[in-house]
Amino acid sequence: MNKITVHCTVNHKPVVVETEPNKRLLDLLREDLGLTSVKEGCSEGECGACTVIFNGDPVTSCCMLAGQAEGADIITLEGISVDGKPDLVQQAYMESGAVQCGFCIPGMILVTEALLAKNPNPTREEAKQALSGNLCRCTGYTKIVDAVLLAAEKMRGEASR
Amino acid sequence: MKPFDFYAPSTVEETLALLDQYQNSVALIAGGTDLTLELNERKASPAVVIDLKPVRELDYIRVENGRFRIGSMTTHASLAGNEMIRQHVRLLHDATRQVGSPQIRNLGTIGGNIAQSSVAGDGLAACVALNADVTLRSVRGERTMNINDFLTGEGVQKRNSLAADELLTEISFPVPDPKHTATAFYKLAKRKSLAISVIAGCLVVTVDDDGICTAASMRAGALGRYPMRFEGAEAYLVGKKLTYNTMLETLPMMHDQVLEANRSRPWSVFYKKEGVQGVFKKLFADVLGQLGLEEVQA
Ligand SMILES: Cc1cc2nc3c(=O)[nH]c(=O)nc-3n(C[C@H](O)[C@H](O)[C@H](O)COP(=O)(O)OP(=O)(O)OC[C@H]3O[C@@H](n4cnc5c(N)ncnc54)[C@H](O)[C@@H]3O)c2cc1C
Ligand code: FES
Ligand code: FES
Repeated sequence: MNKITVHCTVNHKPVVVETEPNKRLLDLLREDLGLTSVKEGCSEGECGACTVIFNGDPVTSCCMLAGQAEGADIITLEGISVDGKPDLVQQAYMESGAVQCGFCIPGMILVTEALLAKNPNPTREEAKQALSGNLCRCTGYTKIVDAVLLAAEKMRGEASR
Repeated sequence: MKPFDFYAPSTVEETLALLDQYQNSVALIAGGTDLTLELNERKASPAVVIDLKPVRELDYIRVENGRFRIGSMTTHASLAGNEMIRQHVRLLHDATRQVGSPQIRNLGTIGGNIAQSSVAGDGLAACVALNADVTLRSVRGERTMNINDFLTGEGVQKRNSLAADELLTEISFPVPDPKHTATAFYKLAKRKSLAISVIAGCLVVTVDDDGICTAASMRAGALGRYPMRFEGAEAYLVGKKLTYNTMLETLPMMHDQVLEANRSRPWSVFYKKEGVQGVFKKLFADVLGQLGLEEVQA
């Protein structure tokens, strides 16, 4: 087996990493790059805990091979905060009381970021639809959806200032 | 995951050369939503994996000479978001917008769905109902065949016609004429999101200016190895005025056909033979509404 070299942008920084091809993108991010906010839940595309933003769209990193990241722009939760402080989406999750054990939250927040980048004013139904690939075993979702709508409000407020 | 060598060609030409060279033990990866899991669970252990993601020329939705031409690397998200597909091929719009989850739709491709030829492939069932053609290429040349023939072919994996050195490049079908043809898809599943189809009902009907049915395609995924064809029901509708009541008359035929086909699997028969009728009632109402023939609440 020949090693591969992957060139991509991770959390706004260019990265070149030599690795084994028989790894998932999830493993590349967690093991090679130490980005442990990317969680492994089901390992089969069903729970959304391993979600990352890939060229602007949320994808499940357990369903992709490491080599498929070549040339991609990838954002994980580590790339969301601003100067080490929570961004508006993270603040909205805290203020809404949307977080219990927290395991699903990196995926939820990334999906929220990707949604709001495209649709700054989602309806409750659109927010639910966007989150439909992410499972939470704790919260019952109501406060997570509240958090998405609060984040949208905060971001619109910021934009109009 | 077992070790393998990884290649990422950027053109179809290069892909075909690599397939030719490594055909003894090779797997193509498109979105990876099926293959990555098989590799991870060691259900697949190819010596070489070829990534199709960089092959941009396989990602397109075009209309040419009255036919839709869809590149195999087009994702479910692109299909579901395409305005031409939504307007002209509701069946494919409704099938692709319900695949898996948003994340899965951003990765998974129509080519991967068809090549995988899973019992519960929703894109596959839709393309079968549309009587689509698929195009396969290798260094040996190109062949285009009807998707039904593709499915029953004896290819390398025994699931379809794809030979070890072949690449599925395109899916094509005639652009339905919106005045006379309506298409519909209804997915019966155990939950709303991330659900495998229990029955994936597909309907395509064509009427003439007097509302007489001139062609019908009635299919359902997840009822057998390949999308089940309700030939008796199709034949019953052709030549008759298309009304909800006429369409309802085909339900007993579908009931019996599902019962017959699933006799050896008694646990699934009892609800699927009922379920198929509920699914088709929805489809009938949908196409009648689209054609402006009748408003029915199903
Ligand atoms: C959580 C989850 C939910 C899902 N839900 C659904 C659902 O609701 N409905 C549904 O139909 N499917 C569903 N799937 C299955 C899967 O997402 C789809 O079948 C998808 O379309 C596969 O496409 P892909 O590009 O990811 O294929 P890959 O995994 O990349 O490939 C699948 C197979 O096809 C071969 N292949 C791919 N492209 C080509 C090509 N161009 N030429 C020749 N061979 C090729 C590969 O070698 C491989 O054997 C789900 C999967 C997951 C993980
Ligand atoms: S770990 Fe990837 S979706 Fe669950
Ligand atoms: S907060 Fe525990 S899984 Fe969502």
